[in-house]
Order: sequence, then C-alpha cells, then structure tokens
Amino acid sequence: MAGGQALRRREWDGEAVLFNDLSGSTHLLSSTAVWLLERLAVAPADLACLAAALDAELAAQDQAQHDPDQDDGPADAPIDRAQLSDLLTHLCALHLIEPC
Amino acid sequence: MLTVSSLTPAQLRARLHGPGLDIQTGPFVNRLHSNIPHLAAGLALLYGDYPLRAAGGFADFHLDLSQPGGLRRWWRPQVRFEQDGQHPFKPLPVDQAQPFCEWMMNWCVSNRAHGYLIVHAAVVEKHGRAIVLPAPPGSGKSTLCAALVCRGWRLLSDELALVRHEDGLLVPVPRPISLKNRSIDVIRAFAPDAVFGSVVHGTMKGTVGLLRAPAASVHRAGEAVAPHAVVFPQWEADAPATLDPLPRARLFMRVADNAFNYTLLGARGFATLAGLAERSAGYAFRYSRLEQALEIFDALAGPGDAA
Repeated sequence: MAGGQALRRREWDGEAVLFNDLSGSTHLLSSTAVWLLERLAVAPADLACLAAALDAELAAQDQAQHDPDQDDGPADAPIDRAQLSDLLTHLCALHLIEPC
Repeated sequence: MLTVSSLTPAQLRARLHGPGLDIQTGPFVNRLHSNIPHLAAGLALLYGDYPLRAAGGFADFHLDLSQPGGLRRWWRPQVRFEQDGQHPFKPLPVDQAQPFCEWMMNWCVSNRAHGYLIVHAAVVEKHGRAIVLPAPPGSGKSTLCAALVCRGWRLLSDELALVRHEDGLLVPVPRPISLKNRSIDVIRAFAPDAVFGSVVHGTMKGTVGLLRAPAASVHRAGEAVAPHAVVFPQWEADAPATLDPLPRARLFMRVADNAFNYTLLGARGFATLAGLAERSAGYAFRYSRLEQALEIFDALAGPGDAA
C-alpha cells in the first residue's frame, strides 16, 4: 500500500468510490479492487499470494451463498492471474499501491 | 422584515449609487453597487420579494456593476464588473447588465462559498422531498426547473445546489431562473402568468430571459431540506420520457463531475458527496414533453403527507 492512503471509500452494489489521499482524485473501482487494497493495507503480498487469497475468498462467499436444494454445477475456475496482474498494475498507476 | 419592494425606485437607485443595495439571497448577503438605471429597474422587478438588509452591515459579496465614464459612456456603452477592487472579467455591452449581474452572483458563490459542496444543478422540492438536477448547459435543466416551479414545486436554486457539510442538507439559494433561447418561449407558453425580466439578445449564451422566482420560494429560503433524488435530465426531441436508475457509485462520480469545488474540498468534499449519494436515489432522465416530465416528477415526490 502506498504511504499516506487512508482508503476512504464507500461501496454500493459491487462498486466503490475511493478518495486518493495522494492525488486528491476519486476513483470508481470494483469491489475486487477494494478487497485487494484492504488486503495490501494489512501486509505486502505478491501476485501468487493475492491470487490464492482471492480464490479462497470467492470459495468462501460461494459456500456462504450455497443453496442445498440447488444443483451445485461446476466449481468456479481459479482467478485469472493475467487479469489480476492488470488490476494491480492499474492500482499502481493510480498511486494506491506500490511495488516493494 | 423589509424587502426590496419596500424601496421606491428613487430609493433603490440611491442605494445602488451610494452605500449599496444589500439583498439577502439564501444564506448570503450581496451588496450591489451600480449606476445603470435599467439594472435598478430589473432588480426591483426580479428581487422585490427578497429581504433587504440594512446598509453598512456585513455582506458576503461586494459586487459593482457600473457603466464606465469617458468615451465609453456614449460609444458602445459597457458594463464593468468589479469585486473587491478587481476586474476579473472583461466588460460587456451595457444592455447585458442584468444577466451579467446574475452570472457574477453565481460566480461569487461558486468561487467563495466553500462551506458547502457546490454542484452545478437545479434543486426543487415538493412534499419535503428535494430533487437535485445536475446537468451541463443544453440539457434542458433550467427549462425543466422552470416548468416544475411554475406548477408549484419550491425553487431552491436553478444553478447552485449547496450541500451543507455538517448535516448533508440542501440549503436554498433561490434566485431568478435563467432561460436561454427557445426555452423562453416554451415557458411563456407553458405558464403564461410567469414574470420575466427584460429579454436580452446577443449574450455569450444567446438570448437570455430571467424568470422571477416564486415569492413562496424566496420566503422559505431559510428552510434547508434533505435530498431525496438526484436526476440527470437530458432533453431530446420527440423522446418519450424515461427514468432509468443509476448505480449509486456512478451517481457519485457524475455529481462530482458537475461540482464546482469538489476537488478543492478534498476529503471533506468526498464525505459530503458520499452522504448525498447515500441518501438519494439516482436516475438518468430523458424527456421531450414537459407535461410528461411533470407527471414523473410528481410520482417521485410521492404523496403529500410524506414530509
């Protein structure tokens, strides 16, 4: 996480607005992006670690929403690493996170 | 409470020439100076219902719209705006003094009143439910606002939505509604009793006509109200009226795009705008016929016992 960011944000219906303390800009972000920022605010992590954590989070959410009367269908595929990498690059360009 | 209409024309001109005409518009006191007779007459017509403050008291904004002397007094006469000894804008032809005065009053608020989040938007209210109408020029915002006000909605503002940081309420600053070009005749036909100031041609915005604010809205300028909805209007020829919900985060971003001082306010502006988005339903509204638009807005306001 870039220093000085307070992660002031509001989330509604899968989207979020976040105030960037360094640039003064406001960004429209997905809930996934906010989840990554929250995670990185706790501790630095690499791509593999974040991807694994995101897979686990999605699985946990699926489990919480599981309806025993419905056919489960195929399990979700793991998160696309290339998409995740692009998202992190985008957050880096906004000076919300930085490489370490 | 004294109002501007309590002054005779001679007294009003004497104030403008001398200590200043102190008019209260919403939370602001404007001290006006001018030596232009038709501006005095226009102020008497459009601001007759407004509170008149005693000369020499505190004024938020000091505006001088006067005609320079010398050759300019006779050759292509002009009106020049001065504020606190500065001339931030070029002079305009003197017949544009009234709309120039309105633009400068707006400019003072949008550049100075940072105790509010200021959005370029009309605000109207019915049954205690305020609807904010942010929109760029040409969207039909003022025409729609004028039509609503002519049918009994309270006018909080045609140009400046003031969101109070402390409680998120919308603070009224009702002033004349500035209609441009074809909208003037549209509203004259829609509301034949509507009172207009002089119609001025050839301004940078085309032909401008100022519609007098309803007296009831002026009298209730001290009553702030909670936001109920934010509606982005767009007039489109022959389009059926449609009201499409906007996701709240998108509503936030679109209001920020229409705010005068959001960036300047930083984190405080973010919190205030987040509060507005939290409390308001958001819609994109397309319309062509005012009667259809009014039906939809009346439905948004809900029944009369909701306040």
